[in-house]
Amino acid sequence: MTRRAMLITLLALPSTAIAQDALAQVMAALAAIRESQARFVEEKDLPELDRPLTSRGTLSWRAPDRLEKHTSEPFEERLLVEGDRLLLERPDRGASQTVMLDTAADIRPLVEAIRATLAGDAATLRQYFQLDFSGDLARWRMVLTPLSARVLAAVQRIVIEGEAASVLVVETQGREGRSRLMATPLR
Amino acid sequence: MNRLLRFLPLLVALAVLTAAFPMVLRHITLRSDISDFLPEARSREAAFLLHELRQGAATRLLIAGIEGGPTADLARVSRAMAATLGDSGQFAIVANGAPRIDDVEVALLFAHRYALSPVASPDAFTETALREAFEALLDGLRSSAEPLLRRFGFADPTGAFIGLLRSWSGETRVATEQGVWMAEGPRALILAQTRAAGLDTEAQRGAADAIRAAFAAADPPPGVRLLLSGPGVFASEAAAAVRADVKLVSTLSFLLVASFLFWRYRSPMMLAVVAVPLALGTLAGLVAVDWVFGHVHGAALGFGMTMLGVCDDYPILLVTNRAPNEALRDTARRIWPTLRLAVAAAVAGLMPMLASGFPGLAQLGLFAAAGLAGAALSTRFLLPLLLPPEGLPVRALPERAAHVLLRLPELRIPVLAALALVAVALAFAGGPRLARDIADLSPVPEAVRALDGVLRHQAGAPDVRVVLSVTAADAEAALRASESAAAVLLRSGTIAGLDHPARYLPSAETQRARVSFLPDAATLAAQVDAARAGLPFRATAFTPFVDGMAEARRLPPLTIADLAEAPLLTARLSPLLRQEADGWRAILLPEGIRDIAALRAAAATISGLLLVDVKAETGVLLDQGIATALRWGAVGGVLVLLLLGAGRGLAGGLRIALVLAGALLLTFATLHAIGEEITIFHLTAALLLAGVGLDYALFIARTGQEDTEDAARALGAVITCMVTTLLTFGLLALCRTPVLHATGLTVCIGVASAFLLACTLAPRPASP
Repeated sequence: MTRRAMLITLLALPSTAIAQDALAQVMAALAAIRESQARFVEEKDLPELDRPLTSRGTLSWRAPDRLEKHTSEPFEERLLVEGDRLLLERPDRGASQTVMLDTAADIRPLVEAIRATLAGDAATLRQYFQLDFSGDLARWRMVLTPLSARVLAAVQRIVIEGEAASVLVVETQGREGRSRLMATPLR
Repeated sequence: MNRLLRFLPLLVALAVLTAAFPMVLRHITLRSDISDFLPEARSREAAFLLHELRQGAATRLLIAGIEGGPTADLARVSRAMAATLGDSGQFAIVANGAPRIDDVEVALLFAHRYALSPVASPDAFTETALREAFEALLDGLRSSAEPLLRRFGFADPTGAFIGLLRSWSGETRVATEQGVWMAEGPRALILAQTRAAGLDTEAQRGAADAIRAAFAAADPPPGVRLLLSGPGVFASEAAAAVRADVKLVSTLSFLLVASFLFWRYRSPMMLAVVAVPLALGTLAGLVAVDWVFGHVHGAALGFGMTMLGVCDDYPILLVTNRAPNEALRDTARRIWPTLRLAVAAAVAGLMPMLASGFPGLAQLGLFAAAGLAGAALSTRFLLPLLLPPEGLPVRALPERAAHVLLRLPELRIPVLAALALVAVALAFAGGPRLARDIADLSPVPEAVRALDGVLRHQAGAPDVRVVLSVTAADAEAALRASESAAAVLLRSGTIAGLDHPARYLPSAETQRARVSFLPDAATLAAQVDAARAGLPFRATAFTPFVDGMAEARRLPPLTIADLAEAPLLTARLSPLLRQEADGWRAILLPEGIRDIAALRAAAATISGLLLVDVKAETGVLLDQGIATALRWGAVGGVLVLLLLGAGRGLAGGLRIALVLAGALLLTFATLHAIGEEITIFHLTAALLLAGVGLDYALFIARTGQEDTEDAARALGAVITCMVTTLLTFGLLALCRTPVLHATGLTVCIGVASAFLLACTLAPRPASP
């Protein structure tokens, strides 16, 4: 290693270390929450459509691995992820679909982006994403870039913003289209 | 010590022969597949059926079941095994759940979606239909399933591609749990089709081992078990069953025969005396069969072991018939004409097996014939050289038993009357019952076949009772023929469904027709614009749809030559469409047959369509086998009669023939009475019993001119022969392997009858 490179490494170290420290604090705070609920509003902006699609509902989280997204507008829908199983139900049509995340390499990272964040599990996040953290415990922002080229082809990045132990915004930027989910913690 | 020295030549000969066995066995190939026991085909239906039994896709299919734990564990093991097996390269297909389709194949099928999909009808692209499709798409985009929908939604809003995939998986009835097939139990299921042919027993065994290894490598939790079924398993289970039977029988019968001989001859040496011709005969049989057929069937070898009961007759007859003060080589010379006649007649009786059309039975026949000849020759020429001139001491039979047996001829008239009665009774009962199920011939144990049935049923593999097939000069013509046949059959209402190759790859003609219905780009664009009015779609949203259809209209039809990049389609297609020596064959499998006669009638209206009723056709094959056996049996019978007539004159020949005919009659009457169904194995065993019975009749009634002492000695020799035969064949009757069981039972009953009849019909003793 040249002296110059060593210098750069030494200079870079403190700021990285500080970010690592804040990330650890945020993850610890998130991990301490065993159960939470939030109202959400989601806006999808698709290039094929001339106006965004809006949906509303509630999000429920229960550690270690149960996440439910219950949409009430514009129609009833339940998306439940628990363990390795993803269940999607449309009660108005009597339709339900189960996907095993083990066999769905494209879907798993998208699920873990939210679930592992809520669980405060940075190791799992790093398994699927490059993780760029900024801010501090009071107000933080994580940019997740998929590691798998296949996933990257569909989703460029997922940005998650929050305050302390609350996730407030999940923004997904796809090659075609963008969705922004805003959560308001209940309780 | 001195006694032992006198037997030194015998023991040395025996040691040499014992050493020869491993050497010979190393050079011959052992096989155990069922197809060696199937007759040759005489009709188109039979040829097709035999081809399927020997090489059909089903013969390459292994089914694994994993059970004995919670679904999560089973699913994990199933996934791990499927991954290992998929990477092993031994299997063309490994499936453990809904099929995974790779991107390259998706691209190919997607491009051809309008040609391949049955959903693509002309009215799928009207304004009304498009409006409905667009509304459904919008609804989906609002849902959380939106990321999944985006992939095809705008390029294929009418769902031609999804419809195509659904039409394929329509026939799968297995429930999926945790992403893998999970039948009741719970039991996770894996299907694996080998690349190797079903007849390649070594490769099939290797495939079964690979599955067991993959199971072990998947680190199954305690209590989780693997069930496995398929030809590879059948082959090894059958071999194991035959081997276990043979091992048990040969051990037990060796002990029983040894004790009996020790009692009768007061010396363990008699065993060695019997062993020499037996070993030579078995070696001769093995070498002859391997030389003629290139391999030896496991059951033929098992049968060879039963020759213990036949071949040991010869040395026993030699030693026991020695008159006091006669040198053994003089005895050999004295009894040789009778022995020669007996062996020649037995070999003549076995000849029909060689012509039966069942390679397996031909092997049995050759094995026995070569073995008998080898044993007889060694008895005549080798044994007298190896033994001291005085032979072995013989213990006299109990006086009373001999007395009773020698007086049996007085019962001649009542016995003949009884035989006539039995014949009439059997004729009135409709003759012996014939077995019609090919499974009765299989050396595969019952439990293994039952497991196979259960797994096949659970895996959704239809129980194929009726198979339809059509051949054509090329693949396109075969596909066209199966399309038109499918249309007629489905319209006839005789079946609920039909699986056929054009379901997966429509003929080029049909593909062209479907594409010709597609609207041109301008028309479609106008319909799309009209349909999206009032919906939030941008003007460009459906450009991929319009462009994709224009592309589809330009693409040439997908043909069988283009499928290199479509493994999933190939996997569906290949069992139903294949190239044969003189063209292509399409196979159509009906489901839910409502009326077989009506289906047959509907099928008859389609030229070139072959309908094979598997069960009925199998019965025809078996009947044909039995008819052949009977025909050649009659020829054998005539040969035996001619030989006997030449050896003993007309009256003597007829007397012996009557013993044999009576024994056969009593045997089949007894088999009928105890509820046995007659298979080809019983019939050929009957031929063998005729050969054995012949010895008894010939030796008991050698000339009718001997004195009482001679007659008693001859009787004693034959009784010894019969007891040893009963001891070995009696045990065979207890075997599970059908061929061994049938042979054992038939010969046992027959030998006892033949002996008693031989005593009864013997010429009356010269002195009262």
